[in-house]
Amino acid sequence: MSVDERSGPTTLPALDELLSEDDLKACCAAVYAHPAVRWLLGDELHPGGEATTRRALELIGVRAGERVLDVASGTGTSALLAAREFGCSVVGIEYGEGAVQAATAAARDQGLGELVSFRRGDAEAVPFGDDEFDAVLCECSLCTFPDKRLAVAEMRRVLKPGGRVALCDVVVERERLPAGLDGALATIACVGEALSRQGYEDLLDGAGLRVTAVESRAADAAVLARRVEDRLRGVRILGLDMGAGSPLTTDEAIELVRSAQRAIADGALGYVIFAARST
Amino acid sequence: MPDAVADGARLARTQSICPRCRRLLDAELLARGAKVVLTRTCPEHGGFEAIVYGNASRYLEIQRFNKPGEQPLERQTEVERGCPHDCGICPEHAQHTCLGIIEVNTACNLDCPICFADSGTGPQEHGYSLTLEQVESMLDGFVRAEGEPESVQLSGGEPSIHPQILEMLAAAKARGIKLVMLNTNGIRLARDPRFAPALAELGVHVYLQFDGFDEATQVAIRGKPLTEEKLRALDRCADAGVSVSLAAAVERGLNEHEIGPILRFGVEHPAVTGVFLQPVTHSGRFRVDSDPLDKLTNSDVIDAIAAQLPDWFRTDDFVPVPCCSPTCRSATFALYDGRDLVPLPRLVDVEQYLDYVTNRAVPDLEVREALEGLWSAKAAGGSGPVAERLECIACATAMPSELREVAARGFMVVVQDFQDPYTLDVQKLRKCCVSEITPDGRLIPFCAYNSVGYREHVREAMSQANGARLAVRR
Repeated sequence: MSVDERSGPTTLPALDELLSEDDLKACCAAVYAHPAVRWLLGDELHPGGEATTRRALELIGVRAGERVLDVASGTGTSALLAAREFGCSVVGIEYGEGAVQAATAAARDQGLGELVSFRRGDAEAVPFGDDEFDAVLCECSLCTFPDKRLAVAEMRRVLKPGGRVALCDVVVERERLPAGLDGALATIACVGEALSRQGYEDLLDGAGLRVTAVESRAADAAVLARRVEDRLRGVRILGLDMGAGSPLTTDEAIELVRSAQRAIADGALGYVIFAARST
Repeated sequence: MPDAVADGARLARTQSICPRCRRLLDAELLARGAKVVLTRTCPEHGGFEAIVYGNASRYLEIQRFNKPGEQPLERQTEVERGCPHDCGICPEHAQHTCLGIIEVNTACNLDCPICFADSGTGPQEHGYSLTLEQVESMLDGFVRAEGEPESVQLSGGEPSIHPQILEMLAAAKARGIKLVMLNTNGIRLARDPRFAPALAELGVHVYLQFDGFDEATQVAIRGKPLTEEKLRALDRCADAGVSVSLAAAVERGLNEHEIGPILRFGVEHPAVTGVFLQPVTHSGRFRVDSDPLDKLTNSDVIDAIAAQLPDWFRTDDFVPVPCCSPTCRSATFALYDGRDLVPLPRLVDVEQYLDYVTNRAVPDLEVREALEGLWSAKAAGGSGPVAERLECIACATAMPSELREVAARGFMVVVQDFQDPYTLDVQKLRKCCVSEITPDGRLIPFCAYNSVGYREHVREAMSQANGARLAVRR
């Protein structure tokens, strides 16, 4: 069943059905396309929204006419920004077919169909040849990939020599993380499988990508977490059913996000932009 | 948000009046000690200063919530002496009227020390009581000026003791005005069991003075303890199905600490659909000797709300109403389920729609229109038009359909500052959208009416014109 078929404006797919899928990548993609989740998070599915994307692209200095790959492009917001504001020619790959269609429609609506295209693709087997891109953008998604080493190696493979990577992701200091912020749900909330700051740097370095800048966006993460908490409280007040057999009650979801907020305040959880260059 | 504003920085030039002789003076708004001070010098009476907003950086930040003014259909006066001395509405006024107020009498059944209308129970100099015909002709004038006015408030004095108050309210309803409010102290509601059902039948919304629960508060503001009667009035409204906004006069050092308890009580009470928090106006007879540099303003009230109810409100939940000046009125709507409360701006990006200065694309003009109707002086929680607009927003922002009906029950919280002769800022006054409707058919911006001398003139003219017909003593 495609995401589109089950995500009308009022019928919500059961989250537990999604979570029990064997394929975690499909599950992640489907959860982020869930209308209730999208309403909760707003259109900005990562901390800082467009401001973070803009900053990441600035840190790697993308220029007009450069060819950029957006890995896990979702509904296309970042790819469209790179084209609109920086004049880049962008290809987005995304695991969820529904999101690819939505992103393609958005590019057409914004008159950016010439500069931006989207296709279904796996970050661990990028459907492009070697040395094709000037830059790679990967926002808030590497943390959910089961084989991160392979995904980063793929970024390096498709980059031209001297090409740049902007990686924006959740960082955790796992030994300081409160109990409960793990498991499949936490993975979807980009926490369970996230690395430490050093972990990402080592990962990039190991793939031949030299880190050129690291910038914390913890304040944006705190704002996003607070917004999710507010909206979950709104959902509870309004009595919205998140779907029969949802794996978490709304109360539990609120507790989870509060726990995440405490972890952000303590520095155990954060959001960071890494800029790197292919050596 | 701007950083700390430099002490002494000039934020704007405007005009004001001398609080003694009321002459028009050039004035400046300055940042001082992180607050905003209005300052001017009268050649005869010297310099005057007053706090007009308690937070200078927020003052600058909220200027973007300023919607271009709209024209009324009809203006009643010419420009002769210059603002604020030609009110009525004159061609220099930059806004139409969202809310019209008719003061049907000057008599009252209380003697509140704070009364800006200088009403009371005793014999009154220049007291008056309007006839039904006068009120009808004033309503007709309001309809001519506005076309389809949405809100009117009958006030006083104490309007509920006017023998024809029900006919007057019915006359407003008969003119298609959707939100007809009765501004009352609640004493008649408490004592007369037939009154609330009569209001329910007319579909009138009650705007009930409710300043807190402490006896000290009530004695200082209203002259005697009234909690028992207020509670009985509210219960009668609940039984009859009358919706009520609580209106609290908030005075520094007196009842600021009651803001949280009033809001908690309000969201729980079945009749209450909103709370209006109003820093006390130092017009009329209250504390005329009080220090204008120690006045409570909207930002102070908003800070007090956030400090007293931190689990429910943050300061940025209160978005300035853009039809008047952004420092006049800030509001929010809250969803409440008996346990938790979430303000609507956390679920819908209200600022994105009501910011008229920052160059941002408005995603949906229908949503903006609905939000403009909610963040307006014409709105009161629980009223039909407000419920319709909340439902529109729920729908247009893709809120799942099950939630829309609940969203329509949003609880309104308003923080509303009025100007007095010390704080009067003519630029701000030009955009005022709350008007006193006078018996001679003028629409006088509320703060001008109370600060510039119009109230006194109207009273004098009324008492002379109506002579023996006036019920000076009830």
